[in-house]
Amino acid sequence: MEWLESHLITTTVFLPLLWATAGLLIPVSSQGGKTFLKTWIFFGSLVTFALSVWMFQQYSPSGPEFQLSESIEWLPQLGISYSVGLDGISLWLIMLTTFLMPIAILGSFNAVDMRLREYYFLLLSLETGMLGAFISLDLFLFYIFWEAMLIPMYFLIGIWGGKDRIYAAMKFFLFTLVGSLLMLVAIFYLAYQHKVQFGNYSMLVTDLYRLKLLGAGFFSPQGLLFLAFAVAFAIKVPLFPLHTWLPDAHVQAPTAGSVILAAVLLKMGGYGFMRFAFPLFPEAVATYQIPFMVLGTIAIIYGAAVAMVQPDIKKLVAYSSVSHMGYVVLGLFSLNSLAATGAYYQMLNHGVSTGALFLLVGMIYERRHTREISEYGGITKVMPWFAVIFMIVTLSSIALPGTNGFIGEFMILLGAWRANQTLTVIAALGVILGAVYMLWMFQRVMFGPITNKENEKLKDLSFREIAVLTPLVVSIFVMGFFPNYFFSRTQPSIERFLSRSGAKSQTTAVATVTLEPFNQIKGN
Amino acid sequence: MEGLQTIRPELLSISPEQLSALRPYFIIFGGTILAMILSVVRWMNPKWPLFILVLATLFAGIVDSFRLVPEAPLTLFNAMMISDGYSHLFNIVFMASAFFTVMASFRYLDREKLQYPEYYLLILFAVLGMMLMVSAQDLIVVFIALELMSLAVYTLVGFRRADRRSNEAAMKYFILGSAASAVFLYGSALLYGSTGTTGIKEILSFIQTHPTSMTPVYTLGAWLVILGFLFKVAAVPFHMWMPDVYEGAPTPITGFMTTGLKAAAFATLIRLLTSVGYGKGLSITLQAHLHDILWVSAVLTMILGNVVALTQTNLKRMLAYSSIAHTGYLIVGIIAGSGNEMGYGPVVMYLIAYAAMNLGAFIILTVLSSRDDSGLGLHDLSGLSRRHPWLAFGLAVFMFSMAGVPPTAGFAAKYVLFYSAVQANEIPLVIISVLCSAISVYYYLRVMVYMYMRDPSGSPSVNRIPVWSTLGIAAMVFLTLQLGLMPGKVVLAAKKVASSL
Repeated sequence: MEWLESHLITTTVFLPLLWATAGLLIPVSSQGGKTFLKTWIFFGSLVTFALSVWMFQQYSPSGPEFQLSESIEWLPQLGISYSVGLDGISLWLIMLTTFLMPIAILGSFNAVDMRLREYYFLLLSLETGMLGAFISLDLFLFYIFWEAMLIPMYFLIGIWGGKDRIYAAMKFFLFTLVGSLLMLVAIFYLAYQHKVQFGNYSMLVTDLYRLKLLGAGFFSPQGLLFLAFAVAFAIKVPLFPLHTWLPDAHVQAPTAGSVILAAVLLKMGGYGFMRFAFPLFPEAVATYQIPFMVLGTIAIIYGAAVAMVQPDIKKLVAYSSVSHMGYVVLGLFSLNSLAATGAYYQMLNHGVSTGALFLLVGMIYERRHTREISEYGGITKVMPWFAVIFMIVTLSSIALPGTNGFIGEFMILLGAWRANQTLTVIAALGVILGAVYMLWMFQRVMFGPITNKENEKLKDLSFREIAVLTPLVVSIFVMGFFPNYFFSRTQPSIERFLSRSGAKSQTTAVATVTLEPFNQIKGN
Repeated sequence: MEGLQTIRPELLSISPEQLSALRPYFIIFGGTILAMILSVVRWMNPKWPLFILVLATLFAGIVDSFRLVPEAPLTLFNAMMISDGYSHLFNIVFMASAFFTVMASFRYLDREKLQYPEYYLLILFAVLGMMLMVSAQDLIVVFIALELMSLAVYTLVGFRRADRRSNEAAMKYFILGSAASAVFLYGSALLYGSTGTTGIKEILSFIQTHPTSMTPVYTLGAWLVILGFLFKVAAVPFHMWMPDVYEGAPTPITGFMTTGLKAAAFATLIRLLTSVGYGKGLSITLQAHLHDILWVSAVLTMILGNVVALTQTNLKRMLAYSSIAHTGYLIVGIIAGSGNEMGYGPVVMYLIAYAAMNLGAFIILTVLSSRDDSGLGLHDLSGLSRRHPWLAFGLAVFMFSMAGVPPTAGFAAKYVLFYSAVQANEIPLVIISVLCSAISVYYYLRVMVYMYMRDPSGSPSVNRIPVWSTLGIAAMVFLTLQLGLMPGKVVLAAKKVASSL
C-alpha cells in the first residue's frame, strides 16, 4: 500500500496497459469469453478511474507546484529522467481521461465485434499513452508518450473504422508526425541550450523554463522554436489551417475512437501549449499572439460555417470541434487569467459534450447504419429518451447558460476582449453560428413528421445506453453550476503558467476581480 | 637484408595480453577451419553438425568479445591492428548478425534445396573479414580484410545459382565492388606517396607534424579512400548497385548485408575519416571539402532513398531503398561526429539499433517468402495479422522502429543521432533529416496497412515457422524494444568506444 501511495502516478498510468495485456490472454471464441473480456476491460478502466480519484484527493492546490512526483534516472548522459508529477493543469485533464474511458468502453460494447482482444488492448494502451503525456515533466518522456499514443489510434481508425479508414488513419498519423518531428528538432536545441547555459544536461521542464533564449522577432531563435512547438500542438488542437485530418479521422473512426479522439487527444494540443510552448518561449508568445488569435478566430467562424452545411451528423460534430477548439486557442493567446481559465475550462467542456455527442451519434448509427441528416426526422416520437439527452447535450454545445459550455465561452470572450476587441467581436459571432448549426441539425433530425418509414420502429435507448450517458449529462450541469469547484483546484497552476508566459501582472489582477461573480455562484 | 635487420625480434612474438585480445579472431578462424574439414567428410551428412558448429563458434566469439570491450586499447602486429573497445563492440555486431543469419538460413536452405556447407563457410569468412577490417590500423590490412569480406559476400549473393536475378546481382556487385576496391587502393597509394606510410595513425601524425605536405595529391588520396567506402555503404551517387543486389541475393543474405556488412563499412569509414584528418582541425580546406561532399551526399541519400522507397511494391526492394535512406541518416551522424561531445558514439549506437531491427525484419521476410524468394510483394502481406499474428506483430515492431516511432530502438537511435547533429550546429541538415524520416513513415506504415487493415487476398498460404527463426525474431523484437526503452547502457558504451578513436 505504501509503495502504491508513493508510486500512485506511475501505477495509474501503466495500469491500463498491464490490464489490457492480461486481457490478451482471455479466449474469445465463445460468447461467454467475449462478455468476460468486455467486463474485464471495463472493470480495468473503472479501477484506473478509482486510482485517479485517489490521486485527485491527494492533490492540494495550495501545495507545491508538482505533487506526487516521482523521478528516476533514465538516460543520465543526456539528462533524461523518468519524471512525473501532477499539477492543476494536468489534474482535470487526467480526470477527464479516466472518466471518459469507461464511458467510451461501455458505449461501444456492441459496436465492435471483430478482433475484440486487439481492440480493447489498443483502447487501454491508448489510455496509458494519454495519461503519460499529461503527467510527464521530462520533455523526452513527454515526447515518447506523445508519439507512442499515435500507434494505438492509428490502428483503431485503420482496422475498425469506416469505409475510407485507411486513408483517414494514414492522414492522421502523417499530419501529427510531421508536426512532432519539427518539435523534436526544437527539443534537441533546447536540451543543448541547457547544457550551454547551465553546464549540465537536463530535460526537466522546470529546468528548461529557466533558459534564456534570444530574440523577440518572428524568426529569432525563440520565435522559430516556438513555431516548431506551436505547429505540433496546433495540428493536434487542430487549428485552422492544419485541421484537415480531423474530419476524416473522426468520421472514419469507430465510436469509442471518435470519443477519445475528440475528448482527450485534441486536448493534448491545448495542454502542450500550456505546459511547453508558452512558458518556454514567453517573448515569442507575445510576438505570435495576434497571428494565432486571428487563426483561432478563423477556426471558430470557419468551423461553424462548414459545420452548418454538412449532410453527415458525425462530420458536423467534427467541424464543431474545430470551432470549439478555436475558442481554446483564442483564450490561451489572450494571455490573461480570465481567458486562460476559460480556455482550460472549455477544453474540459468540449471533452464532455463532444464526447457525449459522438456517443449519441454512434448510438443512432448502430440502429440505422446511416449518419445522413436527411435520413432522419421526427425521431422525438420514437425515441423520447434519446431526444431529451440529445437536447441537453446540444444545448451544452451551444453554450446555454446553466450548462458547462456557457462558462467556458463566456470567460474566453470576456478575457479576449481585453486582448483584442475586433477579434472578440468576430469570435462572438461564432456563438450564434454554433446555435444555428446545432439547433438546425437537431430540428431536422428530431422534429417534424417521421418522413422515413425505417425510422418508425427505432428502439429507444437501452438501460446500458442511458447508464453510459447519465454521467456525462450530470457533469454538464455540475460543470455549469459549480465552476468554482474546478477553478479553485487549477487557479494556482494557471497563474504560474501565465506569469511564466509573460502575461502582464496587471491583467491578472483585473482578472481576479472579474472572477468574483463566479466565486459567488458557489459562495454560499 | 637491411630490411630484416630493422625488424625487432620482440615484434615477432606475441605477448599473453595480445593473445588474449586476439582470441575472438582465433575462435572464428578456428571454427572456419573446423567447418571446412567437417564439410568434406564423406561418412555422414554434415548438415546438423556443421550448423551447430557454426552457431557455437559465433556464440563463443560473441561471449569472448564482450569480455574485451572494456579493455584498454592494445596494438597488435607492429601496429597493423588494434584491439580496442570500438573494434570489439563492432565484432559483436558482426558475429551476432551472422549468428542470427545462420539461424534464419537453416530451414530456408532446406526449402530452396541449397543446403551446401559452403554457405556457412562463406558467412564465417565474411565475418572474419569484417572483424579484421574494423580493427585494422593500416590501409593495406583494411584492403585485405575488405577483399576477404567482399569476395565471400559476392559469392553468397550469387548463391542461388539457378536463379537469374541472383546471378545478375552477384555479377553487378562483383564488378562494381571491384571498381570501388580499386578506387580505394588507388587512394591508399596516393596517401602513401604523400606521407610515406600506410598506417592510419601514422598518416595523421605525419600530417600533423608536416602541414605543408597536405598537397593536392594527398587530398585526392583522402577523397578516393573515402569514396571507396561511400560505395560500400551505398551513399548516393554510389547506390546504384544496392537495390538490385539486395533484391537478387538470398533473403537471409540480404539481411546479413544490411546489418553486418553495412556496420563494417561504416565502422571502417569512421576510422579512415579520422585518419585523413577529418575533424582534427588540420586543414580548413580539407575539412570544408569533405564536409561539403558528405553533406550533399547525406541529403541526396536521404531524399532519394526515401522517395524511391515510396513507390516500391516489393518488400525486399523497399527495404533496400530504406537501407539507403538509413545510410543517409548515418552520414548525418558522421558529419556531426567531429563537432559534438559524444563523438561518433551516436553512429555506433544507430548501427547497433539498425542491425537489430533490420535483422529481425529480414528473418521475418525469410519466413514469409515462398519458393524462389518470391511472394514478398506488399499484396502478399494482406491480412497477415490473421494468419500469423505474432509475425505481424514482430514486423510491425520493426517497421515502427525503422520509422523512428517511440518506444523502439529506432527512435532512441535517431534521437541520439540527431541530437548530436544539433549539437554540432547542423540544424538545417537535421531539419531535412527529420522531414525525410517523416516521408519514410508513409511506406513503413503501408506495410502495416496490408498486414492489419486489409483482408487476405487470393489463397493465403500459411507457412510453417521454423523454430530457429522464431528464436531469432523473438530475440530481435526483445532487443528492439529493450534498446528503445532502456538505451542508457548502449549509449554509454557507444560513447566510450568512440572516444578512443
